[in-house]
Amino acid sequence: MKEVDYTHKTYHRNKTVVVMFLCLAMFLGLIGRLVYLMVFQSEYYTQKAKELHERERNIKAARGRIIDANGEILADNKTVCTISVIHNQIEDAERVIGILSKELDLSEEYVRKRVEKYSSIEKIKSNVDKSVGDTVRAYELAGVKVDEDYKRYYPYESLASKVLGFTGGDNQGIIGLEVIYEEYLQGSAGTILTVTDAKGVEVPEAGEERIEPVNGNDLYISMDMNIQSYATQLAIQTMETKQADSVSIIVMNPQNGELMAMVNVPEFDLNNPYTLPQTTDETVLSEEEKQELLNAMWRNGCINDTYEPGSTFKMVTASAALEGGVVTVNDNFSCPGYVMVGDRRIRCHKIAGHGAENFVEATMNSCNPVFVTVGLRLGVDNYYKYFKQFGLLDKTGIDLPGEAGTIMHKKENIGQVELATISFGQSFQITPIQLAVTAASIVNGGRRVTPHFGVRIVSADGNDSKSFAYKIKDNVLSKETSETMRYILEQVVENGGGKKAYIEGYRIGGKTATSQTLPRGSGKYIASFLGFSPADDPEVLALCIINNPQGVYYGGQIAAPVVKQLFENILPYLDKIDYNKLKN
Amino acid sequence: MSTRSASRRQSNIGNYMDYSLLFIVIFLLGFGLVMVYSTSSYEANLHFNGDSAWYLKKQLGATILGVVVMMIVANIPYHFWERFAILGYIVSVVLILLIIPFGHEANGAKRWLRIAGISLQPAEVAKLGMILFLASMICTMGKKIRTRKGFYTVLAVPVPIALMLWRITSNMSSAIIVMGIAALMLFVACPDYKRFIILGLAGAAAVALIVFAIVKMSESNMEGMGFRFERVLAWLDPEAYASGKGFQTLQGLYAIGSGGILGKGLGASMQKLGFIPEAQNDMIFSIICEELGLFGAIAVILMFIMLIWRFMIVANNAPDLFGALLVVGALGHIAIQVILNIAVVTNTIPNTGISLPFISYGGTSVVFLLIEIGLVLSVAKGIRLKDL
Repeated sequence: MKEVDYTHKTYHRNKTVVVMFLCLAMFLGLIGRLVYLMVFQSEYYTQKAKELHERERNIKAARGRIIDANGEILADNKTVCTISVIHNQIEDAERVIGILSKELDLSEEYVRKRVEKYSSIEKIKSNVDKSVGDTVRAYELAGVKVDEDYKRYYPYESLASKVLGFTGGDNQGIIGLEVIYEEYLQGSAGTILTVTDAKGVEVPEAGEERIEPVNGNDLYISMDMNIQSYATQLAIQTMETKQADSVSIIVMNPQNGELMAMVNVPEFDLNNPYTLPQTTDETVLSEEEKQELLNAMWRNGCINDTYEPGSTFKMVTASAALEGGVVTVNDNFSCPGYVMVGDRRIRCHKIAGHGAENFVEATMNSCNPVFVTVGLRLGVDNYYKYFKQFGLLDKTGIDLPGEAGTIMHKKENIGQVELATISFGQSFQITPIQLAVTAASIVNGGRRVTPHFGVRIVSADGNDSKSFAYKIKDNVLSKETSETMRYILEQVVENGGGKKAYIEGYRIGGKTATSQTLPRGSGKYIASFLGFSPADDPEVLALCIINNPQGVYYGGQIAAPVVKQLFENILPYLDKIDYNKLKN
Repeated sequence: MSTRSASRRQSNIGNYMDYSLLFIVIFLLGFGLVMVYSTSSYEANLHFNGDSAWYLKKQLGATILGVVVMMIVANIPYHFWERFAILGYIVSVVLILLIIPFGHEANGAKRWLRIAGISLQPAEVAKLGMILFLASMICTMGKKIRTRKGFYTVLAVPVPIALMLWRITSNMSSAIIVMGIAALMLFVACPDYKRFIILGLAGAAAVALIVFAIVKMSESNMEGMGFRFERVLAWLDPEAYASGKGFQTLQGLYAIGSGGILGKGLGASMQKLGFIPEAQNDMIFSIICEELGLFGAIAVILMFIMLIWRFMIVANNAPDLFGALLVVGALGHIAIQVILNIAVVTNTIPNTGISLPFISYGGTSVVFLLIEIGLVLSVAKGIRLKDL
């Protein structure tokens, strides 16, 4: 140890100071880093940490109701319960199995399998009635959870099924108004944010943050449940007596386009939209075939399908001819039972011919040769111009999904023969709603309205409401021509082919049609009648279409009486409503 | 000079007690216990049947033991230990080697020895042993340390220990600390600067080159390369390795960043609820940041700066080089460990397991750190008051 040099020299001290300052510099650097992380990056990391710690649980929002013109609720929500078990919390498994299988009407093995399954939470049954859920809850079984949920519920079951539509598993609209007004009806789900530790256990001190759900808006529609149900009864009756494939009835206000009823029988049960009619043998169907049948069942023929309108379309030809000045009501014609167009001979439905008749009589007789003549007088350019002006080339813009467009010749492809057939409503296709809207604009003074059901939405608390505005295209037809058309069409009902729609004491106008379905010669017909009342100032317009009736198939014979019965019942009813409105 | 009168030295011993240093240490220990409880109580509650103070109790026991040992060491003249310098080195080697047959595994690494129910981390013994051995050796070498041979001899001494720590206990951070302590002691003992600057620059260049090479290799997506150097890649982009090597780092950053300037309040950390595994260990500083904010974090760093400053004062006023070197060794040990720990939790450097002195949970660590403090206090006792 003698050699040991214990001298503590100055440079040792200096170097110790250097070490000290080196450390200090590094500490300062780290403080800088901390400032960066905890001040400038704080927001980012706070957000990240929050996402990590918070668990979100959704609270469903109740979907808005659909309410008819009289305040009847057509689509509502039912509180249903979902019953589940939490394996770890069950104390008396046997009792749980016994009670659940008894109350939920399930087999004991089924419940046992789920109760004994080791999982965090196991669903036993969903869509359980609230009363049953309450009963189960009253047992206060440890480990049994009863969650409340909303389910769409349609009190009138199949009424207006293809119009209202239904909702899917997430309460989203699938077809009909439920789809179109989805954004208003659905509301927004709320959330419960709870803070959890790394294992997902909730931290009680941290409390919970709750964002309340906003329930959907109620949708008020112009449909009148009474008219809809009566029209449905008529349609079913007609379908059964005529053994028709389907019957559609549209009832609308021609002045503003509000639809009071839209019936497409057969309808389906909105509370069980995935159940095919009992007559179908589902066992032989593949999934795809079943889906196709379902789609067909859900199809709204009034707007999704097109057909050749036939003679009801003569009112369009008449309007165009009168407006174009190629014919007047008093022009005289002679019908030999056919008309030659080029080398084609187009027959009248009355083979013997109608003989001498003026234009009004020709309309009453639904005389094809006369309408071919005036159609040809108009010429392709003019006819096409009016076709377009009446809005027949555009969709009506109805607030229902899947509206089909018009299937029409290209203008350059229209020859004399085509023009002749178009003149009496053949060789092109339109939807029933298109025909109803066009007829409405012909009889309402020339204003093309937008057909619709949606009137207004009202927020769930009733504080906010919003009315929908719909486009009206003015002057598609002059008021004078419109007045003439009302006169002619009233004549059709009073003395012509539509007289089966005549009701004493009411002024009714209308037009019948009997069209062959394509392909021609199939022997299948579509009988239809379009009527409106009062004939001088129409407040209600109805279109009845009978698809493939057996036996008598003339529109004037079978469709006109349906509209007559409908009007007999709803005209006094509509008057009464107006009376009440005035009183209020 | 070598025969400096023993009586003169003797006469001053016991006259001076560095209360500032003692206070800082006791403050850090107290604060550490509070933070250990705060960070561990939630997990302790889950794992030890509701005994939320399980970790606190163990740490408190080690702390009390450490303080007692510290007071004993402080009252023994530090030259007493010089004779154990070689023994210390040998004991370190033996203890590390004993890990191979008898090592106790925890958290996926064999780092502990269990003797009579007390677990001991040989790495901590090795650090203290290295300080003592090098202080003694440098003093014995005298002027020879200025020669190239002397320089490299001192640098070579810690290498076997460091290698063993790294390979046997897979504890790279302890190996780095041992090397760091040696480098610092050598730096203070040598009058030369040039060599250290060159050494420092060469080291920095090597690190930069390695990082660059790893990034390049991972980009070219060579099989296996990406995995081996994932720790470095996770350091560069922890969010890309969020479920692997970057997990702990990222969770630490969430804690630090969400603390903000003022913190969430003592005990209010969310990240300690299992998100940061064993938050009471190496990652404790991130919880300090989360609960006490930037102010709390800076306050803790200031306490360490003050501690190091006191060390410097004691070292520079030490009666002789041996004492000064002991203090410098302890200074190096604590400074390196604090800097590395904070650098790791703030993702300033790649993740490596390193605890925060006096604060992190760990019995061996606190006992041996307190022994070092005892040595420093003992050196401080040798200071003649008129020197201050």
